[in-house]
Amino acid sequence: MTILTGLIKGIGALNSGVLRIARVFAVAAIALMVAAILVQVFFRYVIGNALPWPDEFARFCMLWMTGLMAPVAYRHGGFVAIDMLPEFLGRRAAAALSLFLLLVSLLVLVVGIKLGLKHVNSGWLFSSASLKVPLSLIGMQSIKLKLVYMYSSLWIGLILLTSVNIELILRSLASLIKGDHQSPFLSDTTADSPTPSAGAS
Amino acid sequence: MLIWFLPLFLIFLFIGLPVFFGMLAAPGIMLALNGQERDLALLYRNVYNGMDSFPLMAVPFFMLAGELMNKGGITERLVEFAQSMMGHLRGGLAHVNILSSMLFAGLSGSAVADTSALGSMLIPAMEKQGYTRRFAAAITAASSVIGPIIPPSGIMIIYAYVMGESVAALFLAGIVPGILVGIGLMMMVGFMANRYQFPVATARATWREKGRSFARAFFPLMTPVIILGGILLGVFTPTEAAAIAVFYALIIGLYVLKTLKWRELPAILSKAAMTSSVVLLLVGAAMAFKTVVSLSHTPEALAAFILGLSDNPLILLFLINILLFIVGMFLDAGPAIIILGPILGPIFVDLGIHPVHFAIIMSVNLTVGLATPPMGLVLFVASSVSGERVQKIAKTILPFLAVEVVVIFLITYFPAISMTIPRLTGFVQ
Repeated sequence: MTILTGLIKGIGALNSGVLRIARVFAVAAIALMVAAILVQVFFRYVIGNALPWPDEFARFCMLWMTGLMAPVAYRHGGFVAIDMLPEFLGRRAAAALSLFLLLVSLLVLVVGIKLGLKHVNSGWLFSSASLKVPLSLIGMQSIKLKLVYMYSSLWIGLILLTSVNIELILRSLASLIKGDHQSPFLSDTTADSPTPSAGAS
Repeated sequence: MLIWFLPLFLIFLFIGLPVFFGMLAAPGIMLALNGQERDLALLYRNVYNGMDSFPLMAVPFFMLAGELMNKGGITERLVEFAQSMMGHLRGGLAHVNILSSMLFAGLSGSAVADTSALGSMLIPAMEKQGYTRRFAAAITAASSVIGPIIPPSGIMIIYAYVMGESVAALFLAGIVPGILVGIGLMMMVGFMANRYQFPVATARATWREKGRSFARAFFPLMTPVIILGGILLGVFTPTEAAAIAVFYALIIGLYVLKTLKWRELPAILSKAAMTSSVVLLLVGAAMAFKTVVSLSHTPEALAAFILGLSDNPLILLFLINILLFIVGMFLDAGPAIIILGPILGPIFVDLGIHPVHFAIIMSVNLTVGLATPPMGLVLFVASSVSGERVQKIAKTILPFLAVEVVVIFLITYFPAISMTIPRLTGFVQ
């Protein structure tokens, strides 16, 4: 039990630290997305010159925003699920079920990471249509961005989700052993951890 | 064999696996058992490709715009305006609640945002005037479903993307149904107000007062005009319109109404990013799920089953509405539409139902599901903003739900209600 508590503390601290940084990048990404699209509209109508890059750049930001922010949402129980059945089960059975569901999720994540590796590596073969690393600013030739930098967003997201998932598994294992049957999800309700299930509804 | 992914998926969903994982686990397991390793890799790629989309970007943008308007004191001005128009009627604040929801629906595409923004303001005000708390919470929840029906609408953007329809057509098709829900609810309030002697909120506003409250609400009220006007005139795409809505809300909040502060922005951005990241992942999973739906010929098998029940589209539409309503009781509108759209859409389009008409039937029905017990999301939000128990709100909301069910059937059997505006504007042939 002590080992388990220590593990939970360790991985919890790791997740908190990494996700704090991830959140900062995600916030920057959504702000940049808006800015890019506004620049696109401005250049098309006011300057009369349609830029090639804002569309792809904004998508780039959106992919990273998703990859970096979804793990934060997951850690706070923000993934949509029907949680009716546990209410009808005994507390012990509900805790066991929650552990089982986390293991199924882990399976999805691990297979996803394995499949994703191929996808990410294929990104070295292709270059972005419009995004360049502007090395021309420092007197060198600009190079086109490889798609691997976009492909990695989902893959990194899955890795972060896995790390969160392992924390959740350990937590629910501990609560199953202790018998207190607490929800494994973090429950702080600060202004920026809403009920993301509210989603598009 | 592959077709068994659907029952497996339903089992996963029922036992409480998050929809995102369920949409990948069920088809993934069946593909692996079938030895279709290559299709498994396709599943992953489709999640990625499904998320990598320009039209989809309107989802985070509209969410952000909604958050900004919410924080920026815009809600207050809308309510003030609604009050000057309807406050003098018997049951005034109940009417104001519904009208505010309709106005708010033009700014935000989310019933949850509507309930929490208007509820926190109007529920205490209604209580002060002698309405019961459960009634105030119930009317707030019931009217908030107008949010995703009147454009802009989060679930319609998602439906349009997953099913390859035009966002503009769906937006336009939602206008009349949304107004119809509002009028229906007002009629019910009017009936109840006379019967139970509801209070009058304020004295009738003079034209001068009406003018003043309109002027104060002018900038917020212009948002839907800019969004829809821009899209209709072909000036910008829905995604660009959404970005402009963000910009507009930002400028109004920061510099015109001065109710928003720069230091509040990171929290607002973070909230919008969090809610949209979950939705975007779901949409990615939905695109992968959709691939397996067609690989497994599920629509054909289901179509055979459904057509075995009856070949009369009118009866089938009735049955499908009941199915959607039941699903809506347990699942939020967004995920439900993502799951059911690809399965049911093709069947009914083959039966001769216009895709846009079917999209509206699904959207309205599943949106109303947000306010139905036992799992209605807005019931829970209304409960948390009012402090009233969900069960009590659920009981009090029943007459309003009955009205909404009537509207669902009107929309279903009179396609002209939803199709006229998109037809007149040329967005639907």
